[in-house]
Amino acid sequence: MMDKTKIQSGFSSGAKNEPRRIVFITPNASANVMDERGRKVMSYPHLLVREAIVFEVLITAMALVALIWDAPLERLANPLLTPNPAKAPWYFLGLQELLHVFPPFVAGFLIPTLVVVALIVIPYFKVNVEGTPLWSELTSRRFDVVFWVVVVALLIVLVAVDAWTIIFPTVLVVGLLLGLGLSKATTGPICVLRAKPLSWWIMTWFIATAFWLTVVGTFFRGPGWSWVWPWGTHAG
Amino acid sequence: MSDDKANPAGANADAKREASRRDVLNEITWGALGIAGLGAAALTFQFFSPNVLFELPTTFRAGDPDRYPVNSVTLLQDQLIYIVRTASGFYAVSAVCTHLGCITQWKPEVNTITCPCHSSKFQPTGERLEGPAPLPLPHYAINFTADGELQVDKLQIIKADQVLKA
Amino acid sequence: MTTTTMGTSFHSALENLRTTGVWKSIFRSGPAVTNRARSLKVFDNLLLHWLPVKVRENSLGVRATYYLGSLLLFLFIIMAVTGVFLMFYYRPVAPNAYYDMKDLRFVVSNGVFVRNMHRIGAHLMVLLAFWHMVHVFYRGGYKPPREFNWVIGVMLLLLTLSLSYTGYLLPWDQLAFWATTVGSNMISAAPAIGNEVRFVALGGHTVGGNTLLRFYVFHVVILPLLAFLFIGAHLWRVRKDGGLTVGAKDHDGQD
Repeated sequence: MMDKTKIQSGFSSGAKNEPRRIVFITPNASANVMDERGRKVMSYPHLLVREAIVFEVLITAMALVALIWDAPLERLANPLLTPNPAKAPWYFLGLQELLHVFPPFVAGFLIPTLVVVALIVIPYFKVNVEGTPLWSELTSRRFDVVFWVVVVALLIVLVAVDAWTIIFPTVLVVGLLLGLGLSKATTGPICVLRAKPLSWWIMTWFIATAFWLTVVGTFFRGPGWSWVWPWGTHAG
Repeated sequence: MSDDKANPAGANADAKREASRRDVLNEITWGALGIAGLGAAALTFQFFSPNVLFELPTTFRAGDPDRYPVNSVTLLQDQLIYIVRTASGFYAVSAVCTHLGCITQWKPEVNTITCPCHSSKFQPTGERLEGPAPLPLPHYAINFTADGELQVDKLQIIKADQVLKA
Repeated sequence: MTTTTMGTSFHSALENLRTTGVWKSIFRSGPAVTNRARSLKVFDNLLLHWLPVKVRENSLGVRATYYLGSLLLFLFIIMAVTGVFLMFYYRPVAPNAYYDMKDLRFVVSNGVFVRNMHRIGAHLMVLLAFWHMVHVFYRGGYKPPREFNWVIGVMLLLLTLSLSYTGYLLPWDQLAFWATTVGSNMISAAPAIGNEVRFVALGGHTVGGNTLLRFYVFHVVILPLLAFLFIGAHLWRVRKDGGLTVGAKDHDGQD
């Protein structure tokens, strides 16, 4: 970052191809000017043509699917007859799966609220700004101990409440983390993953769990919210 | 097109210059989008033209002919026509004033069909007597059904001198 | 006439059109042959002037952003247009709502296509909203000075989910009715105010005619307006925060 007390001067980014422009960058310059990453090109045509193509591809793909696949329409709503199972829209199925394990207060209010609050707080939670990798010799012993205590405690709690659908992705992610720790590789994807910080791992765990819960709620739950195999004989 | 007039580098603002390759491609693109747009407009127009109307059928029965006494004018309220029976027979006349669409009224005391909006007056045959109406009231096709009832078709307009013989 | 002469005369006609006063009064920046003219095409345009006149080359590739933000914006427009089309034949009254959905499918010309587009767009929009959020996170696009834009983005995610949820009820079939019932019971799990909120949201103790009407108003007026405002804020902030700067290594080593 530039020293904000000085006025800097330089050449604009297109200076090689265009008439020389001298730029005086004052401390009040906008973020766009202060940033130094990459050459700039004219929005018209470079960006706008690409955006037009994106729009065309989107609407064409949607139109093709719309011509082939019909949106469903079941029977007229009957307040007296509940279908079995009664499922929420797919983006809430993860929550509905949680409801199976936790009481409504936890699964219906506490967890969604905590998730939303956690998402909002992400940019303000200034821990580990440097992005120190989780598997790094630089992290303190105390951090290591706290981290693993939390993980083990979480797993114990999940086992105690029979939350197998959450345990499965958690174990996968933790297993991946452990496997990376034990590996001695110095290049390749293993090395890239080893360099990821804690925030990355928490988000990955969250996505893996949410994804798995949604998949289970969509395909693996049948009448009475019982476990079914999606390829089994059921009315779907 | 192996056109030796084509100028692939073309980039000046002279309005009379030949089409460069860039221009051709641009025009083809806009043309294709235009065709797609026209197609979309046609589909939109189709979408907005209702296929099902919740209006009364335009061909309907008017009942037993003996319900209508000779020399009477009877207004059928929901279909907005008058069934007129003279000594020689039946005809069906529109009850909608040809001026601006108000519903006319039959005044037997003065033997005219009058419009309350701007006081246009018509004879029972539909001919104009006075008022701002530009055209006489149209006659609709009237027939007997196989079982002897009267039937009117509002989509068919017939000449005013035609009468269905009783 | 050969294709060449036809093409040339078409082109000449077009060129002549472009020299007319009427054309020039509408398209005032002239042909895009100088950088100044290219700038004006963005800068002087009502729909485009929020875009920067120049963009960083490394943000143009597909792998940079997967164009997720653009896709979401275009989807919003498509949803608004298809939604308005559907409004011409849909009455938010039980049980007419259901029969109007049947009409749209079987009676209205191209009705089934419009409804399918709307439904596909809805699912796609929720999916892409999550994907966009995850991608921005992994790219570090929430770091200062972009913190509040991330928060606006979370608000937009919630708006998208609300739009999807309120829209889900409108067909008034079994799926709609019971999915809404299940969802509304999750709301009542909130402590103290849960039942009150549910009562107001549903317009009663159970999902019924009141629910349908107020979900319709939310879905068609209130939430789209809010989404429009938040999208405006979100895009404005992207500009103010320095635009898209992907592809180069971040200062903490993540790319």
